[in-house]
Amino acid sequence: MGQVTFKNLSKSFGPANIIDGINLEIRNSEFLVLLGPSGCGKSTTLRLLAGLETVSSGKILIDGKDVTELEPRERDIAMVFQNYALYPTMTVAQNIGFGLKAKKTPPKLIKEKVNDIAELLGLTHLLNRKPNSLSGGQQQRVAIGRAIVRKPKVFLFDEPLSNLDANLRLEMRAEIMKLHRELGATTIFVTHDQEEAMAMADRIVIMDNGLIEQVGTPTEIYFQPKTRMVAGFIGNPSMNFIEGQISKNCEISMAIGRIKVNIPPNSGKDVEVGIRPEKIKLDERKSKPTEIKVKVLVTNVELLGPRAVVKMQHESGQQLTSVVDHNEMDKYRVGTKISVSLASQALHIFPRIRD
Amino acid sequence: MIISFENQLSRFLGTIAIFTAIIVVLFPFFWIFLESLKPPSLGGRPDVWFFEPTWENWSEIVLNSGVPLNILNSFFIALITVVISLICGAPAAYAFSRFRGFHGARYSILAAEMMPPAILILPLFLLLYKLELIDSRIGVIIAHLTFVVPVITWFLIGFFDEVPKDLEDQAMIDGYTRFQAFYKVILPIVRPGLGAAAVFGFVLSWNDLFYSLLLTGAESRTLPVAIASFWTFRGIELGKMAVAILIAVIPVLILSYSIQKHLIRGIGGSGVKY
Ligand SMILES: Nc1ncnc2c1ncn2[C@@H]1O[C@H](COP(=O)(O)OP(=O)(O)OP(=O)(O)O)[C@@H](O)[C@H]1O
Ligand SMILES: [Mg+2]
Repeated sequence: MGQVTFKNLSKSFGPANIIDGINLEIRNSEFLVLLGPSGCGKSTTLRLLAGLETVSSGKILIDGKDVTELEPRERDIAMVFQNYALYPTMTVAQNIGFGLKAKKTPPKLIKEKVNDIAELLGLTHLLNRKPNSLSGGQQQRVAIGRAIVRKPKVFLFDEPLSNLDANLRLEMRAEIMKLHRELGATTIFVTHDQEEAMAMADRIVIMDNGLIEQVGTPTEIYFQPKTRMVAGFIGNPSMNFIEGQISKNCEISMAIGRIKVNIPPNSGKDVEVGIRPEKIKLDERKSKPTEIKVKVLVTNVELLGPRAVVKMQHESGQQLTSVVDHNEMDKYRVGTKISVSLASQALHIFPRIRD
Repeated sequence: MIISFENQLSRFLGTIAIFTAIIVVLFPFFWIFLESLKPPSLGGRPDVWFFEPTWENWSEIVLNSGVPLNILNSFFIALITVVISLICGAPAAYAFSRFRGFHGARYSILAAEMMPPAILILPLFLLLYKLELIDSRIGVIIAHLTFVVPVITWFLIGFFDEVPKDLEDQAMIDGYTRFQAFYKVILPIVRPGLGAAAVFGFVLSWNDLFYSLLLTGAESRTLPVAIASFWTFRGIELGKMAVAILIAVIPVLILSYSIQKHLIRGIGGSGVKY
């Protein structure tokens, strides 16, 4: 079991509202990823759930039980910190067994459990070493071992992979997912790496400025972004945005042309139209009513492995970015004019916020 | 490798400077040692350089004077002072290091440290007089606590500052209270700091003359007071004084050497980071 509920959770440090009334239901055995730009309150959310920060207002429930006022040790959770927070004066075995000792587990049982975990994580030969003699990946494993040995209701991970090099990061990512499948424990994983979030999550929570922007599966987040922030934050290279106005007959007029679309309700008169780079297609055919055909100047082409990023400029000054397969690259020459098409079903319409 | 003239010159000047400093620092010790070996008949004659060395002063001090008792007093007073200071100072330093809104408050400790002891001596004297603790070791310990506790607290703040906060958070998640996290996880990490602070506090108490001079009598006299008392109406008993000084100074030198690695960080308190 391990179901977590945030009810109107808020946290302020002095006058600053860091978490601004969030509501969230985390399901049992779910792998939930908190994703957002730096400083949006991801770590604070985890620390509130862990009991390391006091809640300013609102409630936290674990399995229906109100834990808002409980001490960290009474919540039955485990956390893996970004820099692992291994106890430097203790051996690996003592580090892993430290939480069991708190529960007055008999030493023999502690030894057994520590050995089991060490075997599971491939740490057996390191049990008598001190943490500072281990590599980053090994320290990471010890931190994970220390978390899972207690079989807590909820696992919290605060950017645990960000100190590892790229290969090791992929390896640990797979390992954490495997552990999650085997143990089936509710996991909340903080990252600001969207690729990591997409790869690991059952559901992703996108946060910004202490608010939840969207909760959904990776597919939902990518293909149906609910807000302009989510649309712009997810995807690499990021979505193109074009300012436009809605006219009476359900048409959007933009500097690059006009098109009929299904306009979402209450989007106002001024809108921003988003389109993912990979949806901008090279097009020499006659234009259809469901798409806009645009003449653009190719300004830059950059090869990124199997794909290439093409930067283009419309005569109105509007910049567009598209992603193409590398074998199509020679159709895009810097300095030449080409025709591209933007299909109406690929457009995302967001109300324009003036600031 | 090309060594330029400038480099060679500066290296030469640097070497000279270092040797000068070493001689300036060590010469007094050497001189005091010579004094301690002079026969008493030559006592008070620092201008005499050649003489027959004798251990007379040493045996006189060790066998026929109050100095051994004074050493015992000084040792006992410094030890108890340090133990109490650590018990009070370590949690205080931890609190100063950890809690928000307290960052400026740590400098108030410095203020306590810098206060001239003359401010405290009168109230302390009256207090100890009423409690009938004049000429008692406890009285001196109380007086020494007034400056050793702040020094040790200040000394330890820097060590606690360097322990990541995540560690006690982790311990609290692992099932411990904050206090348990403090003594099971944090204290073992700062053990080198505790040792260095203890040595530093010990030396401060061991060296103190001001309070000891005013608060002790025959029973509780400490070593620095005994040293001062060789300056009598009949003149200075330089030979015996030299012996006592050496006895007082040697443990200080050894202890200071043992903590030199941690001394800078500790004295810097929270300021120095490297
Ligand atoms: N103890 C604190 N006192 C004051 N402000 C704080 C405190 N802890 C966090 N904050 C502020 O709260 C905001 C959110 O911090 P938080 O650590 O939750 O961000 P984050 O989303 O985890 O960012 P990152 O990706 O950089 O880790 C930041 O602006 C930070 O300055
Ligand atoms: Mg963070």
